[in-house]
Amino acid sequence: MKTTPRNPVTALATAFTLSLTLAATASAATGPALVEGKEYMAVANYPDQLHVLDLETDTIYKTCHVPGAFAPAVIQISPDGSTAYVINNRFEDVHGIALDTCEVVFQASMSQRANERAKALFAISLSRDGSELYVIQTPTLLYSDHYRVQDPRFVVYDTAAGLDAKPIRSYPVPRQITVMQTADDGSIYMAGADIYKFDPHSGAIESAIVAREWDRPLYAPPDVLSVWPLQTPTRDFMTMYVTARFQDESYDIETADWIYGFMNVNLKTGETEVVDFAEAIEIYFTGMRSPKDRNLLYGVLNRLAKYDIEKQELLAVAELDHSYYVVFLNGDGSKVYLAGTWDNVAVYDADSLDKITNIRLPGGDMGTVTPQIFVR
Amino acid sequence: MKHLKAINNKAHLLDKALEQDKVEEVVAMTALAGCTATVDPGWEIDAFGGVSSLCQPMEADLYGCADPCWWPAQVPDTMNTYPDWNNESQNSREDWRHLDTVFPKDL
Repeated sequence: MKTTPRNPVTALATAFTLSLTLAATASAATGPALVEGKEYMAVANYPDQLHVLDLETDTIYKTCHVPGAFAPAVIQISPDGSTAYVINNRFEDVHGIALDTCEVVFQASMSQRANERAKALFAISLSRDGSELYVIQTPTLLYSDHYRVQDPRFVVYDTAAGLDAKPIRSYPVPRQITVMQTADDGSIYMAGADIYKFDPHSGAIESAIVAREWDRPLYAPPDVLSVWPLQTPTRDFMTMYVTARFQDESYDIETADWIYGFMNVNLKTGETEVVDFAEAIEIYFTGMRSPKDRNLLYGVLNRLAKYDIEKQELLAVAELDHSYYVVFLNGDGSKVYLAGTWDNVAVYDADSLDKITNIRLPGGDMGTVTPQIFVR
Repeated sequence: MKHLKAINNKAHLLDKALEQDKVEEVVAMTALAGCTATVDPGWEIDAFGGVSSLCQPMEADLYGCADPCWWPAQVPDTMNTYPDWNNESQNSREDWRHLDTVFPKDL
């Protein structure tokens, strides 16, 4: 079958123009402005929807639309709770949506040259005053007969730059950084081969927690999955791990203990922890400490589980209708919210783990969405 | 890599990169020239060697794994090459019958 030759540069230019056109015209406001002081959840699903859920009634409060293709729908909320920044359009754009009006107030294309295709995976964060947006981009240069993979870069945008925003600073960063969050002192903590501490004004980087090459006698290297940059009410930046602890220096895998743990940075103080909290009996894609009691940890994938961290004890589990990737607690720690994968947000009582409700999102899958709970 | 044995061309290339101290050039998940350049094999088994900690049902994991190239061998590359593969299937649970096989086009 013969088709029109695909020129990557032309395709990119077309996509870019289309993206700008959509950005300029999309303002499909549905629903009222947010109410100051109220608690909400921002969550997205296919094809292009950004929902705001009212966490008092556990219903959809309003729905905005984000220009461009859906994935991966990584959301970050501005510190004042007014704006949602979303990585979307197949990892190639960041859009800022004013949640009161659904207006598109910010847009940046990750690609910066005509023959470049840059993707932002899951590493996005904001400065503590909301004036700067940080994102890590992985660029590839496209030539007619070959591609050249470029080094990843940490890029800073002015959030007031509007549509077609351009970088104001850029620094090299190590490969394999998946997520990051901004601490109260303005530094950025990043999860990669190590948990890094990064200065967004100088590009200086240091290791805050040694991860892949950690020095824990008789422990195997940690196995981690960290692609949901959650803005937690406890200001924890947590990376969970599974590891094996061998009985002795024979390193016999058959007699090793399988352990769940987490590496954590307290974003308020910079304090770091590496804590084993349980026997590894199943996988959790995300975990979160309770805002009510930092000794309680909730994890989710195929079951919702609740742990006592100090006692390393599984306190309760809830069987789920299907897998969810993301566990989230509301600000007072009374309710647990599960999101990601299909099209509904499940709500559980944080004490009993009894199911409260399902919030069905009109449209399609949430996929890899990073939802956020916030107060306007 | 000491526990893994290369059995296909891509894996042999990785071994070669290791010998030449060029691992940084072939690392997984951060060189998004396309899903075919991704070395993540997809989760055929879970961390315990079984399937109980894979997503349940598997279909709930479909777009979460297809979108970021986690299943580069199992589903089309929606990130770059086949971006329209699931246009008719926004809700994978209800619309999965519209998901189809893709074939390379003649250039």
